[in-house]
Amino acid sequence: MAEQIADRTTDHFGDHLAQAAELLAEYPVVDGHNDLPWALREQVGYDLDARDIATDQSAHLHTDIGRLRAGGVGAQFWSVYVRSDMAGEDAVSATLEQIDVVAELLDRYPADLRRALTADDMEAARTEGRIASLMGAEGGHSINNSLGTLRALHALGVRYMTLTHNDNIAWADSATDEPGVGGLSPFGHEVVREMNRTGMLVDLSHVAATTMRDALATSTAPVMFSHSSSRAICDHPRNVPDDVLAQLPANGGIAMATFVPKFVLPEAVEWTRAADRNMRDRGLHHLDTTAQAMKIHAEFEAAHPRPMATVATIADHLDHMREVAGIDHIGIGGDYDGTAFLPSGLEDVAGYPNLIAELLGRGWSAADLAKLTWRNAVRVLRDAEAVARDLQTRRGPSHATIQELDARAS
Amino acid sequence: MADLQDHVDTATAIGQLDAEYAQISAPARPSPVPHPDAPAPPDPLARARALLAAHPVVDGFNGLAHAVRSIPWCDLELGERSLDTDVPRLRAGRVGAQFWSLQVPADHAGDRAVSATLDRIDQVRALVAAYPEALRPAHGVGEMTDARNCGRVAALLGPVSGHALADSLGTLRAYHALGVRSITLTGTSWTGRGGGLTRFGQEVVREMNRLGILVDLTGASPDTMRRALAVAKAPVIFSHSAAHELTDHPSNVPDDVLRMLRSNNGLCMVGFAADQVAREGTASLREVADHLEHVREVAGPDCVGLGAGYDTGATHADGLTDVSRYPQLIAELLERDWSESDVAALTWGNAARVMREAEFASRAAQLRRAPSTATIGELDR
Repeated sequence: MAEQIADRTTDHFGDHLAQAAELLAEYPVVDGHNDLPWALREQVGYDLDARDIATDQSAHLHTDIGRLRAGGVGAQFWSVYVRSDMAGEDAVSATLEQIDVVAELLDRYPADLRRALTADDMEAARTEGRIASLMGAEGGHSINNSLGTLRALHALGVRYMTLTHNDNIAWADSATDEPGVGGLSPFGHEVVREMNRTGMLVDLSHVAATTMRDALATSTAPVMFSHSSSRAICDHPRNVPDDVLAQLPANGGIAMATFVPKFVLPEAVEWTRAADRNMRDRGLHHLDTTAQAMKIHAEFEAAHPRPMATVATIADHLDHMREVAGIDHIGIGGDYDGTAFLPSGLEDVAGYPNLIAELLGRGWSAADLAKLTWRNAVRVLRDAEAVARDLQTRRGPSHATIQELDARAS
Repeated sequence: MADLQDHVDTATAIGQLDAEYAQISAPARPSPVPHPDAPAPPDPLARARALLAAHPVVDGFNGLAHAVRSIPWCDLELGERSLDTDVPRLRAGRVGAQFWSLQVPADHAGDRAVSATLDRIDQVRALVAAYPEALRPAHGVGEMTDARNCGRVAALLGPVSGHALADSLGTLRAYHALGVRSITLTGTSWTGRGGGLTRFGQEVVREMNRLGILVDLTGASPDTMRRALAVAKAPVIFSHSAAHELTDHPSNVPDDVLRMLRSNNGLCMVGFAADQVAREGTASLREVADHLEHVREVAGPDCVGLGAGYDTGATHADGLTDVSRYPQLIAELLERDWSESDVAALTWGNAARVMREAEFASRAAQLRRAPSTATIGELDR
């Protein structure tokens, strides 16, 4: 009897998988966050011959073109992340290098990747059957407290900036650091206003809940969470609290659920805490993904079996986020190549159809899923463009400095 | 297409061939013996203005982007007397194209140098956007010529300080993507050692050639100048340097380097700063003309240009105090019997040729070479 039920479930899942592929062919996935550029930097020093993503790279990367295609990805925000401990030294130049490697990827694979700077570009890419390639910076340390640098990143094609990474910066608090300025400083508010004016999306993943609320209060454009899930389902500071999710309808923004097990599965949160402690005890950075670091991780895992997240875990988050924020304000941000582990069924960028099939099994309609995968993210970028056009008729570029604004406040 | 339509009388990219052709066909031209009844020749200043109308000035260096931030408010269209540069005087000076300097102080390092440079780029973009009737952005010789034909001053970005590259070729390419077209080789670890240019320094020059960014040797050490000229596959420039033979100043160019410039087909854009051109304590328009004559003699008429260096805070030679004064300088050169074709080459032709050749070399290199991923750690260990 039990076997029969299992079989029937499998059959349904098979049907759903076929249906998911059909849906994704029409409304492919816009993914909010993929760390391929950083992986290319760390693994091969940007030697793209050594990691030809036109060929199968499953031995080294979560991402290659074949698997993006299999996963039904139609648009990708490539993260031009740099480590926050580079702040003030070479964070800006490293960000420029990250932007440069995305440009080189576009030059190398023009049949599959298409530069996208606007919502129209995204739609054009979908029509052409190419993957719209956008860029997002991960952390305010990439602009070195300079609004001119922010505008330069926008001119180079960066379309969102996460306000912080794992550490506080001078003008914004991170989710994974002690309270600093208590959200956004006055200069932090000015950064948000200038992002609205230039048309760069304000990304609130990684930031403290206080920063989320401050940014939502100031931003006149829709905001995004490029890779964050629900705190009600898994109480981790990287996730979004319900009161913030509830503000998204009024703001028009989007929360893109991430797959990282240590953020989405409560059992994995505790396990990861122990694993990170183990890494630091061995004198390594806990986010290190070099061969040596991965070996130490593997040893730890052999001794302490890792709790497994599944497709259902992510679907639980999306069900809840949909409940609180509404169907028009959710999306997907896998964080591939930015995390060591992933849920079963979502091991690489080919996995999105499994998630869609799971949601079909939970009764999500085709129209709902089109919003989740494609339409919401495109709408958010389009609305941000409209806000920018409007603001530009009324305001010139801001030349405020952090010294001016934050000295006055303190 | 525009750069093909824009033919300058003197040099083209294949200068050698043309010169030979010119020798064969030149003797047909009669020597200029004035007819007794001919009208008196127009005065040199009028001739200068007429020449500049067709061949306006391409200037290699102007610090306005920074200077404009030192005053609380300005209207460049109306005129701004506290600066060396504004729109009415750019027009009076017959400026057709201007490189706007993006240099940052030498003591800025790391992120500070990079983000200060990005700030400067942002300032120039804002400036150009604010005066669309006067300025037009240009990223190459084609757009530069288009701007001239539309009666606008072509705005070119550069030079960026070498130390603002933060030893990163990715950063170099980002500057190129933002429109930067010249970079100096100064203030870095890769110019200070290795006989003027370390292995990484040579890679920087090659990557600049591949991208079509002009290598600007003003301010570089003589060793760096020589090594860069040996490595470069495209013409190099000096954005604001005079002749070291006449005035002993660290930014000026020694004669042996000027001779190397001849075979490189590069360009020495002579600066007007008083301490760069002073001879026996005097620095006036005449001394600048002396420098121009010296550079023309040593490097050749195809390798001399103008790079006044206004709005850098420096004092300028008497008679050349702001951007309106180029016609007076050209008049002086005409009085010294410079031919009209030499003057046209000095003001516009040479700079246009250098940029065209750099663009050609870049296109050719891009077919052969992928972007360089070399790092200073690898090459200069």
